[in-house]
Amino acid sequence: MAEKSEIIRKLIFAAAGAVLLFFAGSEFYSHRNMKEQVVLGEGVTGVKKLGDYFEGIRGTINDCNIYIMEGKEPGATMFVMGAAHPEEPAGRLAPWIMVENGIMEKGRLILVLSGNRSGSTVTRVSGGYPTDFTIPTGWGGQKFRMGDRWSNPLDQWPDPEVYIHYPSGQNLAYVDIRNLNRCWPGRPHGTLTERTCYAFMELIKQENVDLFIDLHEAELQYPVISTIVAHDRGQELGMYVSMMLTDWEEFNMGMEFSPKELHGLSHREVGDHSEAVSLLFEAPQPFLDATRGRTTREQLLTGKDEFVVMAGEHGLLYEKIDENGWHINVRVGRHTSAVLQTMESWTELNPDKPLSIIHVPKYAEVIENGIGFYLKDPKKADPAKVIIE
Amino acid sequence: MSMYASAGIILGVMVIVYIAAKAFKLSTELSMFSAAVAGALAGGFWIPARHIAEGAMTYLDINLIFITATLFMNILKESGGIAYVVRRVLKRFHKYRALLLILLTFILLIPGALTGAGSVTVLITGSLVAVVLYYMGISKVRTAAIVFILAGLSAAAPPVSLWAMMTAAGVNMPYVGFFIPLLIPCVLAALITIFILGWKGTETDINKAFEELPVPPEKMNWTRIIIPFLIFFGLIFIGRKWPHQSPVVGLPLMFLCSAAAAYFLSPIKLNVFKISRETIDQLLPLIGTLTCAGILVQIMTLTGVRGFLAVTTVTLPVIIVFSTLWILLPVSEAVLMWGAAPVIGVPLILLFNSMGMNPVIALAGMSLIWPLGDALPPTAIIGRLTVSVVGFDGSYLKFLKQCLVPAVIIMILGTLMVLYSKDLSFLTG
Repeated sequence: MAEKSEIIRKLIFAAAGAVLLFFAGSEFYSHRNMKEQVVLGEGVTGVKKLGDYFEGIRGTINDCNIYIMEGKEPGATMFVMGAAHPEEPAGRLAPWIMVENGIMEKGRLILVLSGNRSGSTVTRVSGGYPTDFTIPTGWGGQKFRMGDRWSNPLDQWPDPEVYIHYPSGQNLAYVDIRNLNRCWPGRPHGTLTERTCYAFMELIKQENVDLFIDLHEAELQYPVISTIVAHDRGQELGMYVSMMLTDWEEFNMGMEFSPKELHGLSHREVGDHSEAVSLLFEAPQPFLDATRGRTTREQLLTGKDEFVVMAGEHGLLYEKIDENGWHINVRVGRHTSAVLQTMESWTELNPDKPLSIIHVPKYAEVIENGIGFYLKDPKKADPAKVIIE
Repeated sequence: MSMYASAGIILGVMVIVYIAAKAFKLSTELSMFSAAVAGALAGGFWIPARHIAEGAMTYLDINLIFITATLFMNILKESGGIAYVVRRVLKRFHKYRALLLILLTFILLIPGALTGAGSVTVLITGSLVAVVLYYMGISKVRTAAIVFILAGLSAAAPPVSLWAMMTAAGVNMPYVGFFIPLLIPCVLAALITIFILGWKGTETDINKAFEELPVPPEKMNWTRIIIPFLIFFGLIFIGRKWPHQSPVVGLPLMFLCSAAAAYFLSPIKLNVFKISRETIDQLLPLIGTLTCAGILVQIMTLTGVRGFLAVTTVTLPVIIVFSTLWILLPVSEAVLMWGAAPVIGVPLILLFNSMGMNPVIALAGMSLIWPLGDALPPTAIIGRLTVSVVGFDGSYLKFLKQCLVPAVIIMILGTLMVLYSKDLSFLTG
């Protein structure tokens, strides 16, 4: 009798587990296979794949789209990368707006919206992240995938007991072997993440990139925030951009030197291993703070959080925050303005290699109109201009 | 409703459901799971299947290390390797009490240090060392206290220290630089403990000890024992020396390679399926606890409870944090087991970091104190396991009293490490 009830109990638990598995599995599947549509703007003159630059990445989940915007006049080549960390959406939405709206007048712009596609197909364990978020638009809303800081373990696993960076030999946290911004400059026969970095380095070399910008967001408890991190060769430019933004726009942007002994990060390795000048921009994102309250889509987009405000009142943060939070429009606007200002400052410092773009909104415009205003409706677009990101 | 009120109510619901589940004699892991589901419901997330599944995966890698390392140690034990080591050590050093105590300390520290689990120490070497200690004239209750305290220290010792690993992961801090800051205090505290509790006794009765200790197979020798360890450390060495020429193996596969070596080198035929099943049976409560701790943390993060605890902790007057650390850590361990690391450890490390302290040393100091909670109710899994393995059938309170003096020393040591973490920064290399 007791044995029978034991079997029934086990069956009930197994059935409950199966139901849980089904619903959880469906959500994991939808997240990993979600199709995000990009409407190619007038300014996009070509779309390549990362695999075109390095065979070792072709056909993998990280074989992302490379959007090329050729200017009417010659000039420098700038490469802007979003979503090296796919849990930092402003770094992704800023280049997204550029792809759908921008037109290069001078020089050439290369854009990546999903630097680590693998990382965009998973959310952080124990993080409670939503799998997606929607930006309201005049035509309804556009849904985007929310991701993680690291590549999906389904694509790269196991981790070593310690991650030893190539080529410096520096010891880093084991999990950072899946962190795109700890694997630069990558290696051709390495892990997926290392090969992805290697492929981007190949792109930078083959396309003769002059200026590389990596867009990020950071928690307010992290000291490197609201700043430009500049490689040695980008210090003058970084300082100039920082000064101009602080003077002319309504926000402060600091400037820091890329530490020489900290390896694997784009601001150090891209500059060290190519001719390109490398910069990294950080915007504030309270969603990433460990003291945050409810982990919701609303918090992700509004950046409002009473707990983070309280941490700030106790002097525990490196950036200000009040009841208005850090809205996604503000964060994206900071990035678009910072990229636009970098083009202007670069052109002043390198008049023989100018960069100029039109129809990309600045900080104040993004805040006034909202990001959704600049997103195009894929249903109304020419189908030939809609591609899956 | 303010975020504070909302998170406070959800936390209240979770605590009440946890207490109720314990009152209904549910296991710690099921109580944690119930609290997590109740928290999600109270937070308006209904039963969030994806979050439950995702949270359950939080400590998957740690669980795999746990399982494979314990399988390795169990194969070594079943092959007679552990009994061989204990008998040889006893035979060679029984006349030198101090030296014998030192060697027994290391025999107790190694299994937990490699696996991250004090229970593995208790089960693999604890029972055999207990026999030796008993015939050195140490009472059963003192023997139980020695095995328990050293098992806890072995779990905190490097290379695998779950509390440090879990807390470090929670604050995006690399699990790097912990080896020396964990090794020195763990070894020091272990030696202090064994000498305080084991120095007084009688002359070692080697004949009686040999009668009671299992007899290893005739063909067992040091080579058969050392080779599996050489394979393990060899794989680590290869990974570190030639990281870009060798494939990423991962700790679980390294332990499996060592387990396979121990199996093939065993002088007697072993039933690997039986040992595997027993290993899983042995670890099931611990794997369950880690899995459910992951679910609990995920739901706490989702509902804002983790942020509530974090912001409350980091804004407390520092004097209160320091003066209650010695009680806060063991009690949180007693209630949440390893779940204490992400729930309590993460905000504390954030606080210490913001105060300019060295988070690695501070976390190492905290990791020293946490395992003491494994003897305290409501869980007390390791404490009760030790008492049963050693064969002490007196009152549990008597066992706790024997643990008191070394426990206080460990608390002081751990707290001092936290307080002077900045001055001890040189230990991180």
